[in-house]
Amino acid sequence: MILLEFHNRIVEETLTLRFRNAKEGNKPESIDVTVADFDGVLYHLSNPENDKTKIIVSISLKFYKDLEEHGAEDLIKREYGDFMTTAEDAQKDRVTVIFSTVFKDDDDIVIGKLFMQEFKEGRRNYQQAPQVLFSHKEPPMELKGTDARGGDNVGYITFVLFPRHTGAAVRDNTINLIHTLRDYLHYHIKCSKAYIHSRMRAKTSDFLKVLNRARPDQQKEKKTITGKTFKMN
Amino acid sequence: MSATLKPYLNAIKHTLTAAICVQNFNSQVVERHNKPEVEVKSSKELLLTPVVISRNEKEKVLIEGSVNSLRISIGIKQADDIEKILCHKFTRFMMQRAENFVILRRKPVEGYDISFLVTNVHTEEMFKHKLVDFIIHFMEEIDKEISEMKIALNSRARLSAEEFLKRF
Repeated sequence: MILLEFHNRIVEETLTLRFRNAKEGNKPESIDVTVADFDGVLYHLSNPENDKTKIIVSISLKFYKDLEEHGAEDLIKREYGDFMTTAEDAQKDRVTVIFSTVFKDDDDIVIGKLFMQEFKEGRRNYQQAPQVLFSHKEPPMELKGTDARGGDNVGYITFVLFPRHTGAAVRDNTINLIHTLRDYLHYHIKCSKAYIHSRMRAKTSDFLKVLNRARPDQQKEKKTITGKTFKMN
Repeated sequence: MSATLKPYLNAIKHTLTAAICVQNFNSQVVERHNKPEVEVKSSKELLLTPVVISRNEKEKVLIEGSVNSLRISIGIKQADDIEKILCHKFTRFMMQRAENFVILRRKPVEGYDISFLVTNVHTEEMFKHKLVDFIIHFMEEIDKEISEMKIALNSRARLSAEEFLKRF
């Protein structure tokens, strides 16, 4: 699974199953499912007041307070709490979308930089992709004069979208891709770290094997064909 | 193996073989104590001159000998930030498991990435030449492993970026 899905698979499957059941006129079953998703998001599917004909889907988001504060005006104009802010700047012929993302771990910054480098370079092979820019520590020029924060663990990702990305037909796709980017990036950073860890584990046990070769073998007692043993005195 | 790596490892191997001649030695300071002299440095006459073998500024080995113990500290090559992180992670991972690696020191000597401490107990329990082989094997493999992990990281980054951009 290289690309993250935009929806939660478990929630989707549970709900479609219920809907199908309801359509076919089967007896509704009670439901009580709690699902965790990336970055501490929780879904809870339940029946309100034990009424099996109704399903309530609750979502717990850590950054909901911030969402409320700023109001989720536009679909893409979102505040992802402390960890992610989006700014956009619309001009006649292009839209610039800037994300900021905070890396919790110092190592993540370096790995994140590496990933963003590839985003920059990968664009060459895909002409239809928007231009991607990455800046570390300091906010990009477009955000000069705003109170965008800098710092060692902050990175800014800039997308330059042209009309071919914002046309009515492709707009949804573009929006979906851009707002999953942050999860996508962090997900792959975590996966890489997990992979590195499993490699280290394998290599360490390999080293251990080599070191243990230095120990002389325990002399096994040798037996004759009849089962007698000889002892040296 | 590159042209400079072989003589580098050869020099280390020979120095180690010479330095690993250790014997049991009771502490001169405390009655009925027996300590690795290279660590406690209780008196000068028990220590040998430390040797540094270096291939370049980053890749170097410090071999400190004494009458009953020997300390080998290795500096691992770190060309960029990624290699630095990988090297740090790897050495930390190993040092957390130092009790399994009997000769591994829990903390590296200042200025180096990983240290080994071989005492006379180890040389009595294990083959000396195999211990030397282990150190050499370790040095060969760790460079290889770090560069392989770096390549894996790069290719993952490239692949994920391409997959993402393809979707536009």
